[in-house]
Amino acid sequence: MSPTAAGLTGIIIFFVLIVFRMPIAYVMALVGFAGFAYLTNLQAAFALVSKDLFSTFSSYSLSVIPMFIWMGFLAFHAGIGTRLYNLAYKMVGHLPGGLAIATQATCALFGAVCGSNTATAATIGAIALPEMRKYNYSPALSTASVAAGGALGVLIPPSVIFIVYGISAEQSVGKLFLAGIVPGLLLMLLYMAVVYILARRNPAIGPAGEKFSWRERLAALGGGLFEVLVIFAISLGGLFAGWFSPTEAGAVGVAGVMLVTLVQGKLNLEIIRKSLTDTTRTTAMIMLLVAAAIIFGRFIAVSRIPFTMAGTVADLAIPPFLVMALILLIYLVLGCFIDALALILLTIPIFLPVAVTVLGYDPIWFGVITVMVVAMGVITPPVGMNVYIIKGVARDIPLEVIFSGIWPFLFAIIVCLAILIAFPGLVTFLPSLLH
Amino acid sequence: MNILETIVVKSSRAFDMLAGLILAGTALLVVANIIGRTLLGYSILGTYEMVGFFTASAVGLSLARCAVENGHIAIEFIVEKFKPRVQRLIEIALSIPSMVFLGFASYNLFAYGLRIAHTGEVSPTTQMIFYPYIYLVAFGFLLLSLVVLMQFLKKVCGGDQQ
Repeated sequence: MSPTAAGLTGIIIFFVLIVFRMPIAYVMALVGFAGFAYLTNLQAAFALVSKDLFSTFSSYSLSVIPMFIWMGFLAFHAGIGTRLYNLAYKMVGHLPGGLAIATQATCALFGAVCGSNTATAATIGAIALPEMRKYNYSPALSTASVAAGGALGVLIPPSVIFIVYGISAEQSVGKLFLAGIVPGLLLMLLYMAVVYILARRNPAIGPAGEKFSWRERLAALGGGLFEVLVIFAISLGGLFAGWFSPTEAGAVGVAGVMLVTLVQGKLNLEIIRKSLTDTTRTTAMIMLLVAAAIIFGRFIAVSRIPFTMAGTVADLAIPPFLVMALILLIYLVLGCFIDALALILLTIPIFLPVAVTVLGYDPIWFGVITVMVVAMGVITPPVGMNVYIIKGVARDIPLEVIFSGIWPFLFAIIVCLAILIAFPGLVTFLPSLLH
Repeated sequence: MNILETIVVKSSRAFDMLAGLILAGTALLVVANIIGRTLLGYSILGTYEMVGFFTASAVGLSLARCAVENGHIAIEFIVEKFKPRVQRLIEIALSIPSMVFLGFASYNLFAYGLRIAHTGEVSPTTQMIFYPYIYLVAFGFLLLSLVVLMQFLKKVCGGDQQ
């Protein structure tokens, strides 16, 4: 069997095994090891596994992952989300669909201290859904708005997926974080527009809430917004200014959340313990996935699939944007079935050389667009991680109802993608300022 | 079976707690290094290396707990449509290669650590020995393979029940 045929066989075996509920990390490592042993020799594969596992786990550049995860879980357990929602609710809660609009603003703000879409959806869902229920919001609009809003946490820095993409594609994490800001804010505005239009057309699905005086609104500003700005400024501000490495920015973010919550008298040992337990579990899952993807990537590299694919695409007589559209379509379809992190790790070694070397696209722009397409998978059936999390918060609302409310938000993501593809400067301008 | 389950679950929890403490210590080290560098003009030598080794230890020690709580990502929606008996058979069949691979990864990591210890290889900056951290990761994989063994035995003994 030729190396490319062996590579393709390995990819088919990979899909068969993951379909049968074998953990994706185990499958990647196992198929990667077996394939590498087949194409080189068993001795080399033995050495590969032990060395890659330890060097990945002990990589300084990957130690950024637990830092930002801990920062997010600390913010989650310390109740920062509640104060942010209170602020957004007082600002826009009186508009048609105002509570769902406030939910989008809260998701974006919480995303600035939390790098996980699932943690964002769980936090804001627990806070916003009871409020929307109180004001008789339609279950489809209320649940879908939180599930979709959680995806903002993927784009607004810090973002764990951007870190993983940055490491996998050998791109600056700081630049990727900066690149995610405008798309994240644009998507938030599009989500808000979707909610407003839906509630204007049918006021029964999102009745206006209580209107607060400007004095009350200004008083709320001092709460959640101040905390987020302080934490964001000292952590990511230091990263963007070049004072800190990404790992240091994460550790400073952890210290920032602790300091702010300590000053407010909200920090205790139980919060630290719970946040650490969540952090170790999530970190173990991600790091094993990354190490397994590296082993799998070595197999794919020796199979020469990326080179063959790049050569084939270079010989194709079709415009680059059509090839890019095809790549994004593949991501869209696979994203419906495979977890976003795993999908990025699995496919970047294959598609990045095609997109960047052959087609000439900017790797930062490609990263943002890819992450955004993959993020659609967190709200689409059948996997839709955020939808399942919201189902866990609102147990009495059937999954079909939540999915039925998702479509307008998916349309907003597609519009956002179209804007970013038409105007790539929206993504690349901020990172270009970073030296 | 119950004894194995108790030992594996309790020890995975205990080592996960240790992993949490190591991570907290790592964050503290990084922040202390920044404060030292910025305010006192003094950096803690070897922070870069220690952060890597501590992170590796924390990840290794938390792998098992993550598996106990089914935290490692898998695609569930297709197998869930099968009959419980078929689901159980699939899980039993696929546990075997997982268990063998993880046990084998643990063995290779121990062998790798032993090789590093024998050659006397040390870290480049602080000349620190680092094979104990490799042993910790190897131990983490051993515990992870025991979790998969426990889940395998539970499926084998559990009849059609999920």
